[in-house]
Amino acid sequence: MKIVGQASEQMHEEAESASLCSMFAGQETFGIDTGKIREVLGKRELERVPMAPAFVAGVVPYRGDVLTTVNFRALLGLPENTETGCVLVLDDDSGGQERFGLMVDGVGGVVTVQQRMLEANPCTLDSKCKWLFDGAYKMENGLLIQLDPQKLRPSRLAETGMFRNGGAGESA
Amino acid sequence: MERCLTELETRPQDSQQLVGEIFRAVHTIKGTTGFLGFSRLEKLAHAGEHLLGSLRDGRLPVTGELISGLLRLLDGLRAILNLIEETGSEGPREGEEDTLLITELAMLNGEQGPHETEEKAAPVVSIKQQEEAPTPAAAAAEPGIAAANAQTSSSSSGDKTLRIDVEVLNRMMNLVGELVLTRNQMLQSGVESTNFPELARRLDSVTADLRETVMQARMQPVGNLFGKFPRMVRDLARTCGREVRIEFSGQETGLDKSLLEAIKDPLTHAVRNAVDHGIEAPADRVLAGKPAEGCLRLRAFHQSGSVVIEVADDGAGIAMERVLAKAVERGLVTPDQAKEMSEREALQLIFLPGFSTAAAVTTVSGRGVGMDVVRANVEKVGGSVELESKVGVGTTLRLRVPLTLAIVPALVVRSGGQSFALPQTALVELVYIPARDKEKVVERVGASEVYRLRERLLPMVWLDRLLSLKTETEAHGFYMAVLEAEGCRYGLVVDDLLAPEEIVVKPLSAVLREIGLFSGATVLGNGTLALILDIAATAARAGVKPVMEEQADETVALHQDEASFLVFEDRARERTALPLGVVERIESVPISKIEYASGRALLQYRGELLQLRDDGHVLDDMYDLQDEEASVTILICGDPQTTSSRMGIVVRKVLDVSDGNMLEKDAANGEMDLALVNERLTTIFRGFAGELGKSWREVA
Repeated sequence: MKIVGQASEQMHEEAESASLCSMFAGQETFGIDTGKIREVLGKRELERVPMAPAFVAGVVPYRGDVLTTVNFRALLGLPENTETGCVLVLDDDSGGQERFGLMVDGVGGVVTVQQRMLEANPCTLDSKCKWLFDGAYKMENGLLIQLDPQKLRPSRLAETGMFRNGGAGESA
Repeated sequence: MERCLTELETRPQDSQQLVGEIFRAVHTIKGTTGFLGFSRLEKLAHAGEHLLGSLRDGRLPVTGELISGLLRLLDGLRAILNLIEETGSEGPREGEEDTLLITELAMLNGEQGPHETEEKAAPVVSIKQQEEAPTPAAAAAEPGIAAANAQTSSSSSGDKTLRIDVEVLNRMMNLVGELVLTRNQMLQSGVESTNFPELARRLDSVTADLRETVMQARMQPVGNLFGKFPRMVRDLARTCGREVRIEFSGQETGLDKSLLEAIKDPLTHAVRNAVDHGIEAPADRVLAGKPAEGCLRLRAFHQSGSVVIEVADDGAGIAMERVLAKAVERGLVTPDQAKEMSEREALQLIFLPGFSTAAAVTTVSGRGVGMDVVRANVEKVGGSVELESKVGVGTTLRLRVPLTLAIVPALVVRSGGQSFALPQTALVELVYIPARDKEKVVERVGASEVYRLRERLLPMVWLDRLLSLKTETEAHGFYMAVLEAEGCRYGLVVDDLLAPEEIVVKPLSAVLREIGLFSGATVLGNGTLALILDIAATAARAGVKPVMEEQADETVALHQDEASFLVFEDRARERTALPLGVVERIESVPISKIEYASGRALLQYRGELLQLRDDGHVLDDMYDLQDEEASVTILICGDPQTTSSRMGIVVRKVLDVSDGNMLEKDAANGEMDLALVNERLTTIFRGFAGELGKSWREVA
């Protein structure tokens, strides 16, 4: 969390702009700081893990490691996608100790946003989403919801206990 | 320094050099800490130095108390060093402990005279005349000072750092360079190019070399682990009132670092057991005609691809009757079973979980506390535990561990459309069940399904159901892998078997580890992932317990084997019998297959030359029949313990298998081995490896 603070400070310094990688899940568009993304693997077939919590989409091999991949649709409570999703590899700030994957429907491109365009979560948002989202940027072609990769960490998600059976029946 | 101190105790004659070494270590600590401004540490070190100074000058003899004091000093120093490492300061607490320790050290130093006479009752170490030795300046300067100091201060971070031979590192770097070059060539030439196969081969060899080098780098001498035992054994021996000498051999045997960590606890446990329960009190030892000082031997060596670590004591051994009595009392075996148990089987009882609870066998017979834990831990890393004991002579515990953990042979299976890897170590056998036989062979006991495997019921676990996977339509049938781990034995039903592979174990993230069923994951040859099934955890999840009854069943069956005979006819009209235990197979062999060399009949049997015994001249009779197609019945016999002494016995006819009683040998029956089998007189086949005959005769 300390480092997130630093990052936001940096943003202030650097002309209050940030570059986010946009991605899609369901009808909405999300953005994650490009600095936190290690690689976009593209569409991948995942090896499912039986008996795993619902938010885990499976595991994927990545550079000799086995990455646990979070199913973002499951987090949002969306039904499972029939198509194979896109996998992003996110870096944990704590020295790459816990690298993990995130599966979304698709990945857009890099978007530069102004810090002042960010608006906090609406108060009507349900608690799960309130915890997940960091607010939304008002873009010309719609809203871009900012995500914090720290909160998407599998161990963090498990700790909160909110998503254990979250969303649609994911566990196969 | 710790090593020096314990060595000092055992070899007082070398004390000059050792004390010098310790003195320098403490002095260095003192100097450095004074320089860095850690006053508390300095004060303590100073007190120690003072005492050591007296010791070095020969003013004090080396005694057990003295060494204990010094060891406590060492602990004190280490505690402060750890504190410094953690917090960056030595802590404001000008603790009572320190003062206490300093006074104690001072007392040891100053009031050694009266103190000594008071404490004379504890004759743990013979008081050597330090005075004899001349009082020279410090012994030959050794470069060990800085090392000793560094070792003390870095002991806690030792788990995370590793010392590697520079040469190994260089070789690794070279290989990585080669790997990069090969990759570049591959990228440039592309798959279509003509030299692609050659590049692939080179990549293969470079990878193999690199793997070997990395493995080598991970290898740590077992001595690192042994190093902490002298101190532990010493402390333990003092608290238990034993006299124990510890001996090592094979310290240089290499073992993967992670494995070394894994066997640390079991080994510590074993050593503690040996001192606590194995070795008797000095008085008892003297009574038994043994030297008062017990000996604990730690040995490490390579044996057929695995590393064996042996903990041997020359203590009282394990009293079999007591073990059996306890087992019966605890309901692990019935009295009848206990009566028939062999020594080896009885020893295995110690590993049963029921034996491990407090107030079990320990108080009466020796071992047993947590032996099941020892076994479980060693089995977890793919090893095994053996126990040997002779009453009055000693006990030997053998831990057998594979060389490395990272790469394990495994069988890849498919279930519910997913791949899983089963470690080969747990795999006993594989059974194929065709779909049409399913109804017949899968039987039910209540709600649980069992399979009759060689007349024993084996609980069946359906992997797809257990993991709530999608069940695939059964096409041809299914496979059952018979698995054994931590005493559980069960059949795991899977849809299909894929190839056996050497897999590289990759750890799973914490979230997935929590599931508790998978010990890791691996990337298969075809690039997909497979989860590695934790055999013991799967058993627990499926409700398979390490059932005692099951094992008891086995032993009962075994005993029946030993007491029963295979009755056959070799000489015409005469009944001859062999104990069933020595008969491996009954084969029907075409007579043309039997060959002769220098007058003896031989049979090529499974790549082995088998000598044939034909006491009844069955073969001659067969040849007289002039029938090329005829075949004879041959009993393949062998010692179940050693496969070397196999032989074949030619018989006319196998009659029966049944229980029987040996008759007492006496003059009336002409010193013949006779037995009553089914109320009929039967000769016992003689001349089969004498020792073997003896062992089963005892049983019969």
